[in-house]
Amino acid sequence: MASIRLDDVSLVFRVRQQRRMTLKEFVVQRIMLRTPNPVLEVKALQNINLHLNEGDRLGIIGCNGAGKSTMLRMLAGIYPPTTGTRVVDGEIGSLFDLALGFEQDATGWENICFRGYLQGETPKTIKSKMQAIADFSELGEFLYTPLRYYSSGMVVRLAFSVATAINPEILLVDEVLSAGDLAFQRKCRQRMEDMISTARLIVMVSHDLGALQRFCNRIIWLENGTIREEGPAEIVIGRYKTEMQRLHGAEGAYDAGQSDSVRDELPPAEGFSVAA
Amino acid sequence: MSNYLAAIWKCRYFWLAMVRMDLRTRYRRSVLGIGWSLLQPIAMTAVMCTVFCTLFNETLADYAPSLMAGFCFWNFITTATSQGCSCLFQGEKYIRQYPAPIAIYPLRAVLGASFHFLIALSLVLMLRIVMKGFDNIPALLIHLVPTLFLLFVLGWSLAILVSFATVYFPDTQNITEVGLQILFYATPIIYKPQMLIDKGLGWVVYLNPLAAYLQILRDPILYGVSPPVQAYLMAILTAIVFAGMAAATLLQLQRKIIFQL
Repeated sequence: MASIRLDDVSLVFRVRQQRRMTLKEFVVQRIMLRTPNPVLEVKALQNINLHLNEGDRLGIIGCNGAGKSTMLRMLAGIYPPTTGTRVVDGEIGSLFDLALGFEQDATGWENICFRGYLQGETPKTIKSKMQAIADFSELGEFLYTPLRYYSSGMVVRLAFSVATAINPEILLVDEVLSAGDLAFQRKCRQRMEDMISTARLIVMVSHDLGALQRFCNRIIWLENGTIREEGPAEIVIGRYKTEMQRLHGAEGAYDAGQSDSVRDELPPAEGFSVAA
Repeated sequence: MSNYLAAIWKCRYFWLAMVRMDLRTRYRRSVLGIGWSLLQPIAMTAVMCTVFCTLFNETLADYAPSLMAGFCFWNFITTATSQGCSCLFQGEKYIRQYPAPIAIYPLRAVLGASFHFLIALSLVLMLRIVMKGFDNIPALLIHLVPTLFLLFVLGWSLAILVSFATVYFPDTQNITEVGLQILFYATPIIYKPQMLIDKGLGWVVYLNPLAAYLQILRDPILYGVSPPVQAYLMAILTAIVFAGMAAATLLQLQRKIIFQL
């Protein structure tokens, strides 16, 4: 039974004004009785209450810096909540920062293994998935060369292929629907839809309001680290769009609807051959 | 505690793959492969033997294996700490994506160092046997089991401690390097502990835990005697103290370290 429960969760980043200070500086400043490197507190999330059960498809919307990605990372267990409790039941699979987390000097095949092991695969289970991952990425011979020589698009292809090869109970997705070139995007979208239909619980962050409306049954709208609104997808997205229009005028309306118009420009599926 | 170890064990395939990759990239870079990594202690031993055998009035057969064992040991300590300093930055990309136990990154560093150590140590054993014969060494090899275990615990703990310290204070690496340099001369590596004891400086040897580690390493495989109990006790105590500090560090900072990276 997959479930997520957040009770009154807050997350505070304590940021140093200067980056790091050396031990020498630290000791000297302490001796001189100066406050070494003052700490700035950034309230990334405040008083978040959230209960998600099996079958829920939650979308998170909000402006840049509203705390969407932080929220996902907190759900994944990467950022511990500063106060409040986080209880997650179920195996988590996450799709964040796809291009991150590869060994530049290792080959594509090796990187598939490393990622797979981190996601809980064993040499036995990964073996059966390797070929499928390689096929999906369509990287062919490039899998035998070190990642150093990959283009950024190729890295994203590999990352997406590995990350989606698992079937987690809880799926956390951070803005990955626009990976790679058009042909690959179409494949990705298909794969995402498959994953979304098999995962038992999903939380996704996206600026693609159209996609959220299709995939999600619930939406939370984050603003400055707090939940501004929560409810059924259509209602919250509608209010969000209105607000963006009110705030930014015609420009904002364009921003909010941008991803929809990009999708409309995609050629229709039947007129487009994808080797799958 | 046991939960934490279980979590480390659970992602064993990941860190083992990392260690394998580290070793391969290290050896691939040179034509001689593993031989190249042994060249450094061999060359050091050769040069120092010519100087110090005369200076200390030692026979080559006694001095060379002892010196080389010292270098292997020291190499392990310095590699574990220097790799430990960089291991969390090296693993940052994984730390940011998966909530795996942080201790696996220092573990990766210390396993690499252990591998080199074992290869070099087998060379020391061969050197000893070639130069002075077998004696009762095969019977005493069992002593290596606790010694290697203690050394591994010490190395892992040191790596954990410096890895966290480096994230908070970037000059940790410099400081530990200087510290180890000083400690190198206070540890009976190029000289024998007896030389200090004879000159009334025995306390340097008795108070230095690394000297105890060296003794439990050298006694059985070089001199063919069982190490004294107090050396074992000193080594065990040191391992416990450092492991305790490492565990406390993990307990306190393991969840918070992500905010500092």
